[in-house]
Amino acid sequence: MSEQTGKQLSKEEKDARFEAELLPVLDPLYNFAYRLTLDEDDANDLVQETYLKAYRFFDYFEQGTNAKAWLFRILKNSFINEFRKKSKQPAKVDYSEVEGYYNSEDVEGESGVATTTDMRTESVQDLIGDEVASALNALPVDFRTVIILCDLEGFTYEEMAKILDIPIGTVRSRLHRARNSLKEKLEKYAKNMGYNS
Amino acid sequence: MEAKFTEAYQKVAEEGKETDCEKVAKLLNSMVDDEASAEEQTFFNSHIEECVSCFESHQKQKLLKGLVSGHLKRVIVPESLVLAIKARIQ
Ligand SMILES: [Zn+2]
Repeated sequence: MSEQTGKQLSKEEKDARFEAELLPVLDPLYNFAYRLTLDEDDANDLVQETYLKAYRFFDYFEQGTNAKAWLFRILKNSFINEFRKKSKQPAKVDYSEVEGYYNSEDVEGESGVATTTDMRTESVQDLIGDEVASALNALPVDFRTVIILCDLEGFTYEEMAKILDIPIGTVRSRLHRARNSLKEKLEKYAKNMGYNS
Repeated sequence: MEAKFTEAYQKVAEEGKETDCEKVAKLLNSMVDDEASAEEQTFFNSHIEECVSCFESHQKQKLLKGLVSGHLKRVIVPESLVLAIKARIQ
């Protein structure tokens, strides 16, 4: 921090800066939280917690630096440190979303009942989006995370390494494995729907 | 005896050597994510011009990325969330 000549910001100034710099990230941050927790209420709590932490540490945030990556990092740490501990399961999977094309052996203990009838009324775009979501949600959370960060939010490998606190080589290998399992799940879907890849 | 040894040695050396197709496979993600160096891009692009199966792998990888970036629906942020955040920092 170069400016400010050592004097503290007033609360009004701090709040204004906080809102101007960090609130624009709310949408991607909430989406990230939702994809991690797969629950809207949990995503809500996680995002609130993230902003509270960011506010507390806002003096350490350098203006003009990557606010988005900073917030994503705080959120991901909150998720790992507190959130996962609180909830009994590592991460909830919305099986109603997964059901429909997974065989019972793929999702342990859950029998997949084909419910494709109402899908016909949906547009093809929605259908594809739903399938991608189901396949993605069925991945382990670490795999889901790198795909969201890379493909949905467009972070670079270097930014991902900072957000996740892992070496860039690990980002590469995790992304490689994550995409392979996503591909596998989507190919299975395509096959079940009668398409050939 | 010596010839046999040489033959075996060459086999090991060949197995350890990466083919161009293997190199290209390792670059697929860097390419679709725009993370490959200029050198890697040149190597990659010239290879897929000649190799149909690597060309197809590249198309599939682009498709896979596009499925997530282009089709995954974003969830809508509840209006109450921004209010809750503002209230809690007061
Ligand atoms: Zn090839």
